[in-house]
Amino acid sequence: MKFLGTPLALAAVLALSAPLASQAQEIKAATETKPSSKYGDMSVVTQDQLNRAATDSSNFLQTNGDYRQQRFYPNRQINASNVAKLRPAWIFQTEIKESLETSPIVVNGVMFVTTSFSQVYALDARTGEEMWHFTPKMGPITTFCCGPNNRGVAVSGNLVYMATLDSQLIALDAKTGKVVWKTEIADPEDGYSETMAPTVVKGKVLIGTNGGEYGIKGFVKAYDALTGKLVWTFNTVPDKSIGVWAEKDPTGRVLHRDIAAEKAQLAKTGDPSKTLGGGVWQNPAVDLDTNRIYFVVGNPSPDLDGAQRPGDNLYTDSLVSLDLDTGKYVCHFQYVPHDVWDLDAVSPPVITNVADKDGKPIKGILHAGKTGHVYVHDAKDCSLIRYSEAMVPQENMWVLPTKEGARMLPGANGGVEWSPIATNPSLGLAYAINLHQPMTYQVQSSAYPSGKLWLGGAFKVIPTEEQWGNVTAVDYNTGKIRWQVKTPQPMIGGILATAGGLVFTGEGNGEFKAYDAENGSVLWHFQAGAGVNAPPSSYAIEGKQYIVVGAGGNTQLDYKRGNSIIAFTVD
Amino acid sequence: MSLKILSKMLIAAACGAILTSGAVRADTIEEKAAVCSGCHGEKGVPVNAVTPIIWGQMEGYLYLELRDFKKGARKNEIMSGIASSLERDDMLALAAYFAAKPWPNLNQPSASDAVTKQAATANGSIGCTGCHLDKYQGTGSVPRLAGQNHDYLAKTLADFRSGERGNNPGMSSLASATSESDLAALETYLAGM
Ligand code: HEC
Ligand code: HEC
Repeated sequence: MKFLGTPLALAAVLALSAPLASQAQEIKAATETKPSSKYGDMSVVTQDQLNRAATDSSNFLQTNGDYRQQRFYPNRQINASNVAKLRPAWIFQTEIKESLETSPIVVNGVMFVTTSFSQVYALDARTGEEMWHFTPKMGPITTFCCGPNNRGVAVSGNLVYMATLDSQLIALDAKTGKVVWKTEIADPEDGYSETMAPTVVKGKVLIGTNGGEYGIKGFVKAYDALTGKLVWTFNTVPDKSIGVWAEKDPTGRVLHRDIAAEKAQLAKTGDPSKTLGGGVWQNPAVDLDTNRIYFVVGNPSPDLDGAQRPGDNLYTDSLVSLDLDTGKYVCHFQYVPHDVWDLDAVSPPVITNVADKDGKPIKGILHAGKTGHVYVHDAKDCSLIRYSEAMVPQENMWVLPTKEGARMLPGANGGVEWSPIATNPSLGLAYAINLHQPMTYQVQSSAYPSGKLWLGGAFKVIPTEEQWGNVTAVDYNTGKIRWQVKTPQPMIGGILATAGGLVFTGEGNGEFKAYDAENGSVLWHFQAGAGVNAPPSSYAIEGKQYIVVGAGGNTQLDYKRGNSIIAFTVD
Repeated sequence: MSLKILSKMLIAAACGAILTSGAVRADTIEEKAAVCSGCHGEKGVPVNAVTPIIWGQMEGYLYLELRDFKKGARKNEIMSGIASSLERDDMLALAAYFAAKPWPNLNQPSASDAVTKQAATANGSIGCTGCHLDKYQGTGSVPRLAGQNHDYLAKTLADFRSGERGNNPGMSSLASATSESDLAALETYLAGM
């Protein structure tokens, strides 16, 4: 990965991707691929197949199961009555022993997983044998907030899409792992980086960006899936980011803003939108009926210092909906106006049918917040229908950060972090994994540092206080908690529900568990030897259902690192 | 190392020609790097306690520091002067050159159990390894800290706290949020890794 690559590799790569040869970065590109000769053959993934992913009981085609991001797998072969017999079918060890956050994607017997530092593997989903391995050559500058993570690929046609820590979007040939096209999403020297999986729909690749800790100007971009040409850009921080000077959050709690001081600041320095952050960490949900997408936007920059960024800081900490074709704004809903705690919106939203205020079924959007609430919205206008009981203790909300540090719960990781939720539409339940991590919030002002780390202070875990996590099932039609199971450590990673009446999720201590979807009883568990902090997937080959998950630990919470992708089945 | 040579390389490579300029490149960069060795050490062992190890340091980080010295975001009498004459390509080439060298062992003493424990608790509170990675090995624009020169670590963390080193306000905030006694424990622990 050094700047002066060997001449041979240079020539080879330049020959491979001639149209991009003028990009200096391209010199460093080199693909390591091995030909595939194993079971399973990537056939073309059609848009129709992607549209029907929710009912596809052999493939796992999208990061969060389907375009609605329900994480509800329709296969019931592994179920409450036989899950006790679940055994590892195979374990694949990646070359990278670092945080695994990948959602395995499975297409016709071929599995695609990613590792930290943006590497991709294609595996035989039946045996775990490696088919190819892609290591992107990245430029020297990479930044991140929470580990060199990658959350996976998207598939469409005969291409596999992924994004890198140095902010490239890459399309690979699914059969060989060779680069078909690539493009720079934004300049990594300005603090842009990528850890999310793209979403591909109707010929477009959708991607957000990291960088809320670096004073970026956030966006969601759409690229042409065949050529990599930019189709549209939506700035998650609009030029007019001030909003309505909200004094309370939507749950009615007072935000303790000094609005007079903010207005004075606005008069002095103007709209702060240029360096206001607003990363998008996770995939948008796609409503195929209305041709709209729904995603959540992360924190404003700098995280803890609001003095330099007057206003509500739109659309940070918000649910946002756009028109898929044009990228034009449709509606938004802000959870924490003028956030100074990094209690932002990161867990991917879900489209599902919900009861409105009068109990009538309508199309709704669910989002699980770092605040510890599951928010339920009307898909039509993004308005809030209800929010759930708090899933974790909340104390001192919203006390302002101080120089010495002010204690407030939840801590800055939540509640629910980036971890996707799962739903069981027939039970009307949303399953979320939570953290309880008491912290103090400290503020320290500093000027925009051009692409360098810009926190505006610090969040500190209080070492003497107990930390724990939980798995919570929320009835999204009432907002009530149906069941809740405490775990010994804060939870991060993700969760999967299945039609077999099960919910699967893992813990930092290496435990991977199956819960009864209705009442939360633990029906099975497995010790993976490293933190299971990735979202599980499921698939079937030759009529046999598998559950698969990464066990790589977690950088952010310092959970034991590993390098395993583990597939389970009932024999 | 100049833009010209680089673009020649590019053209040559694009035409599929065999590159013969390897030796020329190396000489140029080694000449430039020789200046650095006067302080950062012939074999990567710095000549004094407050000069950092740059051999085996992260490439992106080395480049960004040179850039920051040049533009004045990081101030240091010696380094600002040296960086002022470097162009971006020189900086990138020097960064790549030093990053590829092996990290030297300064044989600093390992921390006691008590200090190690204090360093671990401080890390648990701020999450230093969340960015500097497992065993403080660094990556990209985040520097390796394991085995760095003790007195340099102490100086630069104090500089982050005082604002004397102002090129990374994030690190300044984190250093300020950590007590001096915790920082001292971390410095001893990191140097002895
Ligand atoms: C006369 C002595 C001297 C020379 C010559 C010198 N350096 Fe330095 N360098 C230092 C000192 C001292 C520091 C620490 C500055 C500080 O405390 O902020 C430093 C810091 C650095 C840093 C920051 C490292 C870190 O860990 O943050 C880099 C990078 C660097 N030098 C690169 C170079 C390069 C490349 C050259 C040659 C082109 C060079 N230096 C020449 C003395 C020198
Ligand atoms: C959020 C990410 C993050 C965290 C957390 C973090 N650092 Fe850093 N640290 C950085 C980055 C990025 C740099 C590079 C600074 C620059 O751009 O000059 C750095 C630089 C440093 C340096 C300077 C190294 C050198 O060679 O000059 C030291 C020392 C350091 N960090 C120590 C720590 C300690 C100790 C902790 C925990 C108390 C910590 N860091 C936590 C990101 C982080």
